Amino acid sequence: MIDELNIFGVFMPAALVWAIIGGVLAYGTRLALQRLPLERYLWQTGLLDLALFFLFWWGVSALADIFLPFAMAH
Amino acid sequence: MMISESFRKTFFSALLLAVALLALYALWVRYEVEPTTRDGKVKADIVQVSPDVSGWVTDVLVRDNEAVKKGDVLLVIDQSRYQLARDEAEENLETQQTSLAQAIREDNRNHALSAEVDTETMERGTEKVELLKLAVAQAKTALGVAQLNLDRTVLRAPVNGIVSNMTLQPGDYLTAGHGVMAMVDTDSLRVEGYFEETKIPAVHVGDKAQVRLMGVADPIEGHVESIAAGVVDREREDAPNTLDNVNPSFTWVRLAQRIPVRIAIDHVPDNLPLIVGTTATIDIKPRSGEPSVHRSWPW
Repeated sequence: MIDELNIFGVFMPAALVWAIIGGVLAYGTRLALQRLPLERYLWQTGLLDLALFFLFWWGVSALADIFLPFAMAH
Repeated sequence: MMISESFRKTFFSALLLAVALLALYALWVRYEVEPTTRDGKVKADIVQVSPDVSGWVTDVLVRDNEAVKKGDVLLVIDQSRYQLARDEAEENLETQQTSLAQAIREDNRNHALSAEVDTETMERGTEKVELLKLAVAQAKTALGVAQLNLDRTVLRAPVNGIVSNMTLQPGDYLTAGHGVMAMVDTDSLRVEGYFEETKIPAVHVGDKAQVRLMGVADPIEGHVESIAAGVVDREREDAPNTLDNVNPSFTWVRLAQRIPVRIAIDHVPDNLPLIVGTTATIDIKPRSGEPSVHRSWPW
């Protein structure tokens, strides 16, 4: 598992970077879903933003845990 | 119509909320619960090499950062004074041995002529022999000490390791007992990680561990060798014979103590130098089976 990323000399916790990527992905997905009549299915459309963000964050970090050590070793 | 829309909204809202909470829970377990730390350090025992006798350095046989084996000669201290001391001790021994030989001859003669020699003279003769035997023994011990001092002018590596921070030059004067260089004991190389006390229940002696050094792709394989038995209680000053000095109550934000965990190194990637003090990230691999200590929720 990679817990630390070197961003131009600043060592950041990997979780923070995955969160930023997750946030960007969630934002993009939300833009794409803008046309759907979400307000007919949800009490609060913000819930979708929240769920997307956490899902992407978790997904990116799980993928990184699986593939990053493998990619680094080869 | 109204009821079914309300039901639909509630259903999908609850579903999304559940999905968000599940992802959050997975993230929490990954980053806050699993025993991993970014505060690991490569460590080794450091030996302060110091001479046992004082004197000038005549020969320096190692260079800074050189790897040496246990018993290799590091440097030689000027031997002339210790050589002279040894010679003196040897001569002293010979003197005492000569005196003893003469005393024994006298004593034997006294005994052979016991009819003519009075008892006091005989006793004095025997006493002289005994005293001189002791004097010879003393001279032998003194010779041993002198020889030991002479031997100790050759300073040898006490462990297998790497000479570190050495700027010694021939001509420097060394004082007995004062450190002249540091040696990194390479046999004791290990990784130590500071694990939060909340994660310690998940760490067991023998657990496999994966260590990554900063900037190195390949991991070091190891296992938990031991867990520290204690850290200092920072809430209380340890001053005997006075009243306890306990910090006032601080209830809101609690900071987890960190406990050093020692990781023995099993396998190092080829050609990777282990440098004492470098930073490492340590992941303890999860064990199979029931947890031996139940951890509290939410950890």
